Amino acid sequence: MDIRELKKLENKRKMNKGYMWALFCAILWGIWYIPGTIIWALPPFDAMWINIADPTGAGTYENGTAATLVVAVLISAFNALTVILALLLWNGVLGKFGEMSRTLKEFHPCSKWFFLASIFGGPMAILGSFIAIGFIGAGFAAVAALLYPVIGSILARQWYGEQISKRAWAGIFVIIIGGLTIFVGGAIAEISAGSINYIGYVGGLMAALGWGIEGAIAGKGLDIAEPDVGITIRFLGENLIWWIILVPAVALAGYPIFEYAIQAFNPLSILVLGFAGITFGYCYVSWYKSFPLIGVGRGQGIGNLYGLCAVIFMYLFLAQVPAWTVLVGGALCVLGSFVMISEETGEAESLRGE
Amino acid sequence: MAQRPIKFRLLELFSDEKEHWNNEIVTQVQKEYNMNSNFGRDSINFDILELASGGMLKSVESKVDEDGVYKKGFLLHKYVITDFGKVRASDACLEYV
Repeated sequence: MDIRELKKLENKRKMNKGYMWALFCAILWGIWYIPGTIIWALPPFDAMWINIADPTGAGTYENGTAATLVVAVLISAFNALTVILALLLWNGVLGKFGEMSRTLKEFHPCSKWFFLASIFGGPMAILGSFIAIGFIGAGFAAVAALLYPVIGSILARQWYGEQISKRAWAGIFVIIIGGLTIFVGGAIAEISAGSINYIGYVGGLMAALGWGIEGAIAGKGLDIAEPDVGITIRFLGENLIWWIILVPAVALAGYPIFEYAIQAFNPLSILVLGFAGITFGYCYVSWYKSFPLIGVGRGQGIGNLYGLCAVIFMYLFLAQVPAWTVLVGGALCVLGSFVMISEETGEAESLRGE
Repeated sequence: MAQRPIKFRLLELFSDEKEHWNNEIVTQVQKEYNMNSNFGRDSINFDILELASGGMLKSVESKVDEDGVYKKGFLLHKYVITDFGKVRASDACLEYV
């Protein structure tokens, strides 16, 4: 085999590794919707929702919306906490604490990107996803965020010239049509039924925008940082946002969030939150590891298969069958992802226009 | 020198605009960061691969590692920093001139 063939083979091996990481991400992300759904029904989160939604005990649930939002904040905060524990364990096993400390110190050129990514990934995307789960359901939340590679690909191109082929654009177009089917189809069905959980749709949109923007920002930081370290700094930022800013802000607004936070330390909740932390933490590791190898656009395109995985896992474990608009829209989004990733990458060594 | 993130150091080493073989750079960084295991070696080489994938380094020459200086039978690459790499090196406060 000549050098040219060997180089081609090496490039292919590298791309396959990137696709493999992105596929791991999709599977783990899909599994995460199981603990992400179950946790709402566990103590103290179930009692927390009822006590806030129905303070008089009259069964009128007049504060239902506020209750769902406050519970979503506490669940998101705990999710971030268990994810950072899983990531610290991962970095410990890999012996990367030294690199983490070195990277953390380089705030201006490097770690600021991960802190910025944590704002879009945490209070925007993850909270949005939990809002969508709380108001509409996990199947909808999983599929609604499928629009995120569109945002990520466009931003990665605008911000740092990541190459997007015509075929990738075709995939993005199919994903947009799929996303519209999910949003508009679901909204029409709800309007005709006489009620619309518009906050749930806002949550879905927050997830799509948040994860798309996060990926593009993280891609910038990952130029000069190791992915395992970068993702841990990103979750360090998210924990600071939840536990130093947002959870105290909810408490100051008069909601008993700290009392329920303490009650969350019961074996069943710890087990389910731990499961959420492991699946979400390692799905994020895989996501970040795929970006430097195959680019943000392709990494997010393959990662998008999480929607399909989530619908399958939700059906298998929780017997949840989503609405037909979600299924059709989700199928289109997955089709768009396949169009994006099936392009011939040739011998391109770099993902950027050079 | 082992006080900055590894990718910073790699960009810094390539900032002399000279061509460097990956195995030579890997050996140097292994010594500087005390990462002498095979895992450390592969991890540093992977960082170089990521820098090339991100368009900051480009391979100008390749050869098969016949003598096992890095890994027998693997491809060795001679890299040089790209213009984009110089910009990112400069962003990373490497005082690139």
